[in-house]
Formats: sequence, structure tokens, C-alpha cells
Amino acid sequence: MALTALEIYKLLPKTNCKDCGFPTCLAFAMQLAGGKEKIEKCEHASEEAKQTLGAASAPPLPKVLVGTGDRTVTLGDEVVLFRHEKTFYHPTAIAVSVSDALSEETLRERVRGISALSFERVGQALSVDLVAVRCESGDPARFAAAAASALATGGKPLLLVGPCAVLEAAVGVAGTSRPLLCPPPEETGNGARLAASGKLPLVVRARGIEGLAKALAIARTAGATDLVADPMSADALQAVADSVFIRRLAITHRAREIAYPTAFDLGQGFPQPFAAACLLVSKYGSLLVLDTADPAEIFPILTLRQNLFTDPQRPIQVEPGIYPIGKVTPSSPVLVTTNFSLTYFTVRSDVESAKTPAYLLIAECDGMSVLTAWAAGKFTAESIARILTESGIAEQVGHRTLILPGMVARLSGKIEELAPWRVLVGPQESSALPSYLRRLPPAAFAAAHG
Amino acid sequence: MTIPSAARCYPGRILSVTLPAAPGGTPVTVGGQNALPLVPEGDRPHRAAVGMEVGTGVCEPPPSLARAVENREKDPVSFAKACVEEWGAQFLFLSLSGCHPDGGGQTVSLGARILREVLTAVPCPVIVGGCGEEEIDAKLFPAVAEAAPRPVFLSYADEKNYRLVGGAAMAYGHGVVSWSPIDINMAKQINLLLSDIGVPAGRILIDPLTGGLGYGLEYTFSIVERIRLAGLGGDGMLALPVLCHLGDAWKAREAVEVSEPSWGDVVVRGRRWEEATGWACLAAGADLLVCRHPENVAAFRGMAWR
Repeated sequence: MALTALEIYKLLPKTNCKDCGFPTCLAFAMQLAGGKEKIEKCEHASEEAKQTLGAASAPPLPKVLVGTGDRTVTLGDEVVLFRHEKTFYHPTAIAVSVSDALSEETLRERVRGISALSFERVGQALSVDLVAVRCESGDPARFAAAAASALATGGKPLLLVGPCAVLEAAVGVAGTSRPLLCPPPEETGNGARLAASGKLPLVVRARGIEGLAKALAIARTAGATDLVADPMSADALQAVADSVFIRRLAITHRAREIAYPTAFDLGQGFPQPFAAACLLVSKYGSLLVLDTADPAEIFPILTLRQNLFTDPQRPIQVEPGIYPIGKVTPSSPVLVTTNFSLTYFTVRSDVESAKTPAYLLIAECDGMSVLTAWAAGKFTAESIARILTESGIAEQVGHRTLILPGMVARLSGKIEELAPWRVLVGPQESSALPSYLRRLPPAAFAAAHG
Repeated sequence: MTIPSAARCYPGRILSVTLPAAPGGTPVTVGGQNALPLVPEGDRPHRAAVGMEVGTGVCEPPPSLARAVENREKDPVSFAKACVEEWGAQFLFLSLSGCHPDGGGQTVSLGARILREVLTAVPCPVIVGGCGEEEIDAKLFPAVAEAAPRPVFLSYADEKNYRLVGGAAMAYGHGVVSWSPIDINMAKQINLLLSDIGVPAGRILIDPLTGGLGYGLEYTFSIVERIRLAGLGGDGMLALPVLCHLGDAWKAREAVEVSEPSWGDVVVRGRRWEEATGWACLAAGADLLVCRHPENVAAFRGMAWR
């Protein structure tokens, strides 16, 4: 169990020597309790303190790395059950499968298709993380060639699914890329020895949580250390129940024997794979294998993952600047709001539904909403006047009329003093924008004269 | 080796709430569980319920959705019948959006008449939504509360209008959907205010505001989880069923854009966009979903809920 700041404080020298950089031992203890500092910063801590704290601060869910270099995929290493308690750190990894029974050219085409599953949203690139190579040929040489080809064509880390004999052949050609090995459940021991000899990560498969705990013990005994647990759930609801229980056992019960990242194979006839993928992205799945490479299905799954793995303490921000909405003209209205992504998207979608083309100016506000940014002194008459002059909006429109969020109506006078713009106070709520915009007289945005 | 059970016990239990039906229809009861969603713990007497949204006035669904509903959304009464009889909706959310000046500017009495016609045409439970324009809704809610020949739920009561909506509901025996903008404190506050004016807790549903996939869904996800954990933790004012509208999913450009071939077929993508929104809401703890795509009603109802 994690230690409280007071429990940690009792283990420290209590001399307030400040050598760690904090004013008191208690202040340092609070940092340790929050996981923000390491005990090594205290040169005077006893061995006992270091050991106790080291064990307590070991992550409740171990980290498993797959692949190498900047494509490395991190599984596990989470500390909470609910994202509002802190955040989730390592997004559910998505693997899309290819079969080694495909012809060489078809296989390459399929891998290129998987690589093309890349989407940009809110300034982030969303893509599939791994290529899963399934052995359907039973032929070690063919499987090894397929693995080598998938690696060369896609450049993504590999999940190798097949019996140990073919995995061994593939490790021979692709082992340095640190693939994740996935032998069948009856070959856990051999698979673990293969993984141990190549220092590779391994998926341990067994039905149910009890069975999985036994299989994981076999793999550990055989020397494998980087383990991922697949409870071989039969359907979406079983999968999500297994996923929740394994995560709870890891985080709440600290049951080390089952505390591993989880994998779910949602291909090969798994019922309702799309539903299962959405539920497992929502509820703790560490790695999902899908047979579909349809962008119409992968895009929503990756977007859901992006949403839920956003740090709730640090909202996604939108780049400050000018955002034209619809077919804008020099007489289109100009609105201003903050760069909090939810604010931006809400205002944007309300302006879109007004069907009035408009310019949306986004001010730099550290990702805060209008009222919060105003209260924090980030969304001020000065910052709005600055964006009016620096963004270049004056060159894009002929008028000088700005629509200000109703929540900060009080800024209007000061803005008019600071910039040669007239300010109209818009609605308090973004949802009222459609009717507000439609009722604005076009004369409000006629070209400014003189 | 013995693995401890990860099933948990909670001091609280979500209140059962029944959405009444007419004779010949099936009432919908949700809540009643002392468990988190999707896990085998505690007991869960009722499944999540799946309804569909019926609009009035100007309805302009995106083309792929219009095709899925066979362009029948223009006539609310026959659309309501299709939702229930053909597509399997267990309840309807009748949005009187047509009473909004931008939605067709229908009169309050026309709105009330459409409600009466829908209630006569289908026996299933109905939640009636206002048009969103404060002044019009102030007349609309009392009018529909009086006009409804059987109990419905009025959606929604917020910080400003809870007296009006709660009062109208109490006078005619209706239920209330309490709305708050992704804010657990406000959600509790509205429920307290409704209780203070005498609305029984067993006739309140929580609408936490549902952001569509990619557009704030994560805020809804976390607020629904927090509301549910608080309710199971014993906070009676939050131990109520949660209703999520999936309609916002269709406002996402990604759900409806046709000119992005690398995003895949818009017909599949739009439906999946709404479906993904719904699964996330269910995983967080939603008890009622309001869909717009008929196939998603089937997807959510077809899950082999245990």
C-alpha cells in the first residue's frame, strides 16, 4: 500500500537540513507521498527508509515495453482506478493483425494499410501501435518471413502470435526489434523460456483470473520477467469484467501474482469486437488485437482512447490564432474565446450550427475556460487587444467589430480603449450563439470607413 | 495460490426509477443496483435502457443518419412508431425543438398537441424535452405537463427553472430529468432543490450533459463515474439513474464528413461514432442511453447483459 506523507516523514531524519532542496523533511515527505520525488534525493535517509519506501513506491502495475526506439509501446504502469483520481498514463495499445498465410505482396499491402491508419485530432497524431502477425501457415520459415516483412514495411513493433516453434524462427529474424511473443496457452512454459533467453516480453494466456495467476507463475519460474496477461475472455462483457478485476487486484489489493498489463485478442471471430474494444479502452485494457483495419472503425476507437487518456489536470489546448468557420468573407463576424479545447470545440460547433460563416479568434489562456481564464488574469482586455493586433485578423476582415463572450462583458470598454475595435457583447452561453448570430444585423460587419 | 475476490461492496444503492408506460406498453425501470457497471458484483436488477430521440419542427439529420432512419424523421408521430415498433427503442425522448424560433417556431399549443399525438400513437415511456429557449420553455413545460394524458418525464430542470419544471411535474404526476453542465456539485444541488420543493427522488433522472466522442466525452465519462461512486458511497442525492444523450456524437465533423476518404465510409463511421460514445457512457455508469441511429439501439440492447 502507498504510504501517507506522515508515515514517510517518520522514516526520514527529521533534521530539516534542506539538502534535498525542500525547506523541511515534512515538505519532502509530501512530495514523496505524491510520487513527485524519489527518496534518493535525501542523502541522510537510512537503509531501512530506502527499502521501505522503495517497496512502497514500486508501481502497483508493472511496466512492459514492446518495440525499440521512438516507436516503443509502453503497457501497464498505472497507479489509479479512475482517471479523475489522477490520470491514466499509458493509452491502450492497439494492434491490427496480418496473417502469414497471405502472399508476400498482399501482406505488404495490408501492413501499408495498417500504417495508413493515422488521424490528426487537436494537434495530436492518432495511429495504430503494433502489427500483430498471426501464424496460420504453421510454417516457421514462412512466419519468420512474414514477421520480417511486416517489420520492414510497417516499422511498428510486432506482436507475434503462434506456437513456439514458429515464434523461435521469427525471433531469429526480428528479435532485436523487441517483439511481444504470444504463444498458445498450452505452451506457456516453452514460450516463457524463449522470451527469457531473448529478454523479450511475453503474453501469458489462460482462461479466467485463477488460471491466469497459475500460468503467470509458470512463466516467472521459467525466467520470463516482462509479462502481459490475457484472460482469454469469451465475449465483450467477460473481457471487461476480467479487465476490471485484474486492475483492481493490482491497484487496490496489490496482488503481485496477477498485477500485470492485460491483453485481449478481439479478432478471430470474437463477438462484437467493436463494442469490446470501446469497453476495454474505457476500462483498463492495456493491449487490444483487432482483425479490422477499417478506418471507419479504428478512428472512433483511437479517438475514444485519446479522450480518456487525456490528463484531466491538464486539458488539451488549441493553438492560439485565427480559425475561419465556413466560407468566410471580409464581412464575416469575428468572435473571440480561450484556447481550452472544450471551449473551442463548443463555440466552434455552435457557430457551425448557426450556419453563419465567422472567424473565431483563439487567445492563449493556458487551456482555461472563459471564466476561469478571466479570473486567473489570462483572458483580459490587454490579451484580447493584443490578439486583435497581432493575429492579423485586421487584414482578413473589412470591419472592426468583435463579439465578446457574455461572461466577460465587463472587458468591453477596456478593449475598445486599447484597440481600434468596437465590441459587441455576445451571449453568456455558447449554446445561444446560433440565434444570436442569425439575429445580428449585417450592417454590424460592414467595412469600416476612415 | 488464492487470488482474493475483487468484487466490492458499497454502502449505497442506486434508487430504482420507473418510467411509466400506457396500457399495452412496457414500463422501463432502471437503477436499483449496488454495483459498478459491467462487473459481476452486488446485484443489478435492471439493465441499462435504450431509447431514441424524436425531434419536432425542422429536423436536418446528417445524410448518413437520414438514410438510416429512411428519411422518416419529418413526421414525429410516424417516426415515434418506427422507433418503437421497428427499431426497438424502449422509450422515446421527444424533443419539442420545433417550438424554438430557429427550429420552426411552432406554438406551445402545437408542441403540446404533438406530444398528445405521440403519446396516443405509442404506449412506451416518453421523456419530453423543452426547446431550449428559456422564455418559451417557461410556457411549454406547464402546457405539456397539463396536456399529457399519462405520466411522462420532463426534461430538463436546471438551476434556473427547477421550480417551474418541478412544480409542473408534481401538479400532474410526471417525473423530472435534472440537468447540470458536467458538474457533480451542481448535479447534487439541483436534486436537492427538486427534493426541497417536493419532487420524490424516485421520480428524478440525472442528465450530466453528454459530450460527443472527441468533443468532451472524457468530461462526461469522469463526471458519470464520480456521480456513480458518490451514489454507491451513500450520497442519496446522487444515487439516481443517469441518462446520457448520444446525439452530440452527430455534431462531430469526424462523424459526418464525406470528403475524407482516409477516414473510411461515412455510413459506418457515423454510426460507430455514436456507438463508441454510448459504450463509454455505459462503462462509466449510464443507466439510460438516447440514440439517434436505429442500429445502435440494436447494438446496445443486443449485448448479452448479465
